[in-house]
Amino acid sequence: MLQAYWYITKMKLLTNLTYRFEVFTAVATNLILTLASVFLWQTAYKGGSGAVETLTLQDVTTYTILSITLSTIFVCGVQDTIYYKIREGQIVTDFYRPIPLLACYLADDIGDMLSSLMNKALPLIMFASIFFGIPWPASFQSFLLFLPSCLLSYAILWLLSALVGLIAFWVMELGNMGMVKDSIVRVLSGSIVPLWFFPDSVQTVSKFLPFQYTYQTPLGIYIGNTNAGDALTAMSVQAAWIVILFLFLAAGWARTKKKTLIQGG
Amino acid sequence: MVSSIKHYVSVASCFARLAVQRQLEYPLFLFSWLLMIPIQYFSGIWMLKIIVDRFQPLNGWDFPQLTFLYGLGLISHGIFVVFFINTWSIDHMVINGGFDRLLLRPMNVFFQLIASYVNFIGLIDCIPGIIIFIYGCEIAGFEWSLVNIGKLILVLIGGILIRAAMFTGLGAIAFWTKRNGSMVSFALTMLERATMYPLSMYPYFLQALFTFVIPIGFISFYPAAEFLGTDNGGLELPLSFALWTPVAGLVCFLLASVIFRYGMKNYESAGS
Amino acid sequence: MEAVIEVKDLVKEYIIVKKESGLRGSLKSLLFPKKTKFNGVNGISFSIAPGEIVGYIGPNGAGKSTTIKMLTGILHPTAGSIKVCGISPQADRKAVVRKLGVVFGQRTQLYWDLRLGESFELLRRIYQIDKAAYEENLAVLTEVLKLHDFMNTPVRQLSLGQRMRGDIAAAMLHSPSVLFLDEPTIGLDADAKHAIRNFIKEINRTRKVTVILTTHDLDDVELLCSRIIVVNNGKIVEDGPIDSIIHKLTPHRMLVVELQEPCDDLSTPNATVIKQEGLKIWYQFEKDLVSAPELIAALSQKLPIQDISVKEPNVEDAIREVYKTTATV
Repeated sequence: MLQAYWYITKMKLLTNLTYRFEVFTAVATNLILTLASVFLWQTAYKGGSGAVETLTLQDVTTYTILSITLSTIFVCGVQDTIYYKIREGQIVTDFYRPIPLLACYLADDIGDMLSSLMNKALPLIMFASIFFGIPWPASFQSFLLFLPSCLLSYAILWLLSALVGLIAFWVMELGNMGMVKDSIVRVLSGSIVPLWFFPDSVQTVSKFLPFQYTYQTPLGIYIGNTNAGDALTAMSVQAAWIVILFLFLAAGWARTKKKTLIQGG
Repeated sequence: MVSSIKHYVSVASCFARLAVQRQLEYPLFLFSWLLMIPIQYFSGIWMLKIIVDRFQPLNGWDFPQLTFLYGLGLISHGIFVVFFINTWSIDHMVINGGFDRLLLRPMNVFFQLIASYVNFIGLIDCIPGIIIFIYGCEIAGFEWSLVNIGKLILVLIGGILIRAAMFTGLGAIAFWTKRNGSMVSFALTMLERATMYPLSMYPYFLQALFTFVIPIGFISFYPAAEFLGTDNGGLELPLSFALWTPVAGLVCFLLASVIFRYGMKNYESAGS
Repeated sequence: MEAVIEVKDLVKEYIIVKKESGLRGSLKSLLFPKKTKFNGVNGISFSIAPGEIVGYIGPNGAGKSTTIKMLTGILHPTAGSIKVCGISPQADRKAVVRKLGVVFGQRTQLYWDLRLGESFELLRRIYQIDKAAYEENLAVLTEVLKLHDFMNTPVRQLSLGQRMRGDIAAAMLHSPSVLFLDEPTIGLDADAKHAIRNFIKEINRTRKVTVILTTHDLDDVELLCSRIIVVNNGKIVEDGPIDSIIHKLTPHRMLVVELQEPCDDLSTPNATVIKQEGLKIWYQFEKDLVSAPELIAALSQKLPIQDISVKEPNVEDAIREVYKTTATV
């Protein structure tokens, strides 16, 4: 069984590696984004401004580079996959396949993730290091805590995407709501500006939403803004969100499947 | 000449009518765009406000001025997206043989490419653009005199031509590489960062690049600095940017259409 | 008579990037792509007179579409010259395409979400057809292609056959003098094929439209074309009237004999038994060596014959023969 998923993952990895040109431009796009964002921070911190902040310019620079790098790795094709499958009416035939669909989509995305790690994330980190120095973690310990936190982040993002993909099943005519979700995540995850800079009221609300646990949590651990104890707490919040989202997805998926098979599409 | 212009206008208006009709076939589809685009841009300007409030004006650009710049850049992007969105699909058309049909018709191919799709949905980009710009004008103290309005129109036209030229030139690369380069998102990112944020934040090398090689700075940054009297990083030109932006736009546009025309000779209609 | 289409030594060269398999291969072609040149069309010459219906046929990848695309000005040839109605499509594309109608069977030029009439109106403006002439022409096309029923239906709801008729009408609106049809009957049912073939014959007869047809459906060729040009591997391998090509390529005839009772010795000089099913026997003979009556006479003396029939070879046999003998070296 696992072999089948690994095969999907590997095929995705291989096909992605053959597209040379797309990879170059993707790296260039992300590099531009990184440069522009870091220059913006440098301007904001210019002339000793921000000296009172808990985050130094170096912290924010590292945060920004890593945030954009993570965004290239966290591939959630699942929302588009489900959307298009529903639109083309293909989902019905897929339901009759012997292996769980969602697991296939996940395997597919993991393949994308592995290839992105090699041909998008690594080059981006390398080029960014040339401009701004290597974005080292605060300590070896924070790096070790950063890795599992990233995996949890990805799980949250992926589950969110799958859930949003399911919306298409009920209101297909409204277009791809994944885009809407993405634009919300970009802001509220702290991927562009860390939420610590936001007004207090926003920060309070945000604590009760899943978004900040996708980018800000692992990145905060990496730059040492979150200490080891808080990091473990944050990761358990991440885990809690995963459980909640998973339950939602399982319920939604079961209902979708039932409705689809009854209607026959 | 007159009859030729009449011919092109008659075809363009028919194309436009059909394009709008096609998009209105699925009106609800607009809903996700109607949510996504305002969220994206309003949050963008909100991020700027958070940074400026917390730190300091960006190289002398305070929040009202940043809002003016952001709005101006976004409006010019929005209008561009309405009229020139087909320049984004040049590479796809090269790879899928999409120019075949255009080549079989007795009209200019580039004209057909542009005219064949008036992107009604692009108006959605204009909504946050106009709101942010008008708000920016209000708080930055922009004077709505006839001269200023005239200048604004000239700047917008020039800026749109620069954008069109950029995407045409980038898309035309596919005539030689035969690859889908996904250059569009690259160029979009670059344009957004260089037209909606002060160019003077970037190192001199990039400022020079975006002024003299790829004149993105003319789209909104230099004109906005002139309108508001803010620091533009040291570029001094005689007369007004209301003159230089359209000039830069025309030069780029002509250059891009020459590249396109050369590329067309290399076109290999793919597929069967 | 002056030729409508005149092609001399046409060559089109392509560059192919070879992709290698496996992870290693992917990485390798990522960094160092391998490029090779090859001639998709390799020295083709022919000329077509006004009013001809020419079948341009060949296996997949033979260079058919590439040739058509050069004739219509879509592609620029690497070498050689093309004249359509006396003009080179590469020198003056706009002048040439005004005289051409082109239908790609697998790619519609109609707007998917709109009614047929709306695509037509666009074409009327593009080709600057004056209103009166347009109405008249459209009336004729609507009549012959029976477009009434679906003129106001969105194209996406049309059947393939209806869509193809719509596409052909769209290509004929500006009254072209040459019509290129690329696989016009692909995937259509018998009725739709029949309607389209009739239309082609009709416009050829009444409007003297020259038709160039590429197809894999040899019934199209047999029913429509006065002449066929067969290409393979970028070269013309046969060019001439259908009958003479069949004659030349398939010297064999088949005689099918049904016996009253089984016989042991079936042999006869000048013919060989190639198949036997119960009392039915298939003889193959070469028509240059022996005529059918002679063979029948010889056999009837020897065998108790119940029934007898002679089978003529058809285009399909001839074409298969050509493809076989000119297959890639």
